[in-house]
Amino acid sequence: MRLQVSFKSGKPVYLQVVDQVKTAVACGTLRAGDPLPGIRPLAESLRVNRNTIAKAYGELESQGVIQTAAGKGCVVRDGGSPYRKDVRLDLLKHDIDAAVVQAHHLQIGRADFLRLAEARFDAFAQQRHEAGPTS
Amino acid sequence: MTQSTPVIEIDQLGRRFGRHDAVNGLSLRVPAGRCYGFFGRNGAGKTTTIKCLLNLLRPTSGRVRVFGLDPRRDEVAVKSRLAYVPDQVAFYPWMTVRETLNYMASFRARWNQQTEKALLERFRLDVRQKTSHLSKGQRTQLALAGAICGEPELLVLDEPTSGLDPIVRREFIQTVIGAYQDADPGNRTVFVSTHLISEFEGLIDEFTIIDAGREVLTLESDAARGRFEKPLEEIFVSTLAPAGATA
Repeated sequence: MRLQVSFKSGKPVYLQVVDQVKTAVACGTLRAGDPLPGIRPLAESLRVNRNTIAKAYGELESQGVIQTAAGKGCVVRDGGSPYRKDVRLDLLKHDIDAAVVQAHHLQIGRADFLRLAEARFDAFAQQRHEAGPTS
Repeated sequence: MTQSTPVIEIDQLGRRFGRHDAVNGLSLRVPAGRCYGFFGRNGAGKTTTIKCLLNLLRPTSGRVRVFGLDPRRDEVAVKSRLAYVPDQVAFYPWMTVRETLNYMASFRARWNQQTEKALLERFRLDVRQKTSHLSKGQRTQLALAGAICGEPELLVLDEPTSGLDPIVRREFIQTVIGAYQDADPGNRTVFVSTHLISEFEGLIDEFTIIDAGREVLTLESDAARGRFEKPLEEIFVSTLAPAGATA
């Protein structure tokens, strides 16, 4: 996995790292038990502050995406989120709300929105399929 | 030092040269473990401010504290805990690289031999070479190695990479991120003045832009990118240059 950060976008750098790792895990590029790069080498290669990487890994750990394994650094967690389903739904609600607001401004109606959501799920499944069989 | 004492505290600092105010009512604070950018155009008062922190200049007015101490009254206590890399590095020309490092180490309570070895290898410095024969890039590398091996709590960098080639600049920044902050990152503070902002972009947690000796803008980097939606260098240019002057 190659991480990249851009200072041109207004997105905080640590969130860029969080989202890239989450995408890699969701797509199957990173599997359960796979190690993440160490904080120092990653910070050096991206030329970003170590605090930024530490913050990103802390965020990923609290979201249950990775865990710290003794002597191995950070690895991708097996199994799912540590949260109960109602909490997980609640977390997702905020992202969907943002997309619904954006849809409103772009004059995309409910039917088109739902159709697009279906299509994106299909594209995601396809991407996972191409990455190979997952557990 | 308690966690809450800022590493650097500047209150209403003023420094006058003749009738010219080089620094005029500047205030800022740098908490421990931060990498703080100090940005300004040439002549904005960056080096004067840094010299006041190091007791190389006396403030005309205002107050500076380093580790909560007065750099003038507690000069030794302050200087033993920090290292300074200026833009123009000077060494004794008759000394070799080895002798220079030994000389620097003799002023330090601690000296990390492993870091020294690693940095000499990384920079491919020949310890038998006389410092007068070093290139500008090698001098800066030697100064940085000398600063880092003493494991200071505060690293003060004044335009450290100006005039260096891109590879040396890149290595310099990676060394600050890697070797310097490796041990005890929570207590490794960096204060860097530069106008090569894009070069240091990823390193900077928080920054102050000064102009004509006064603070113009202080922000956390992430907040700044979120607010202005552009890189720090663009923020710097648009803050200081009149509208329309930016391409």
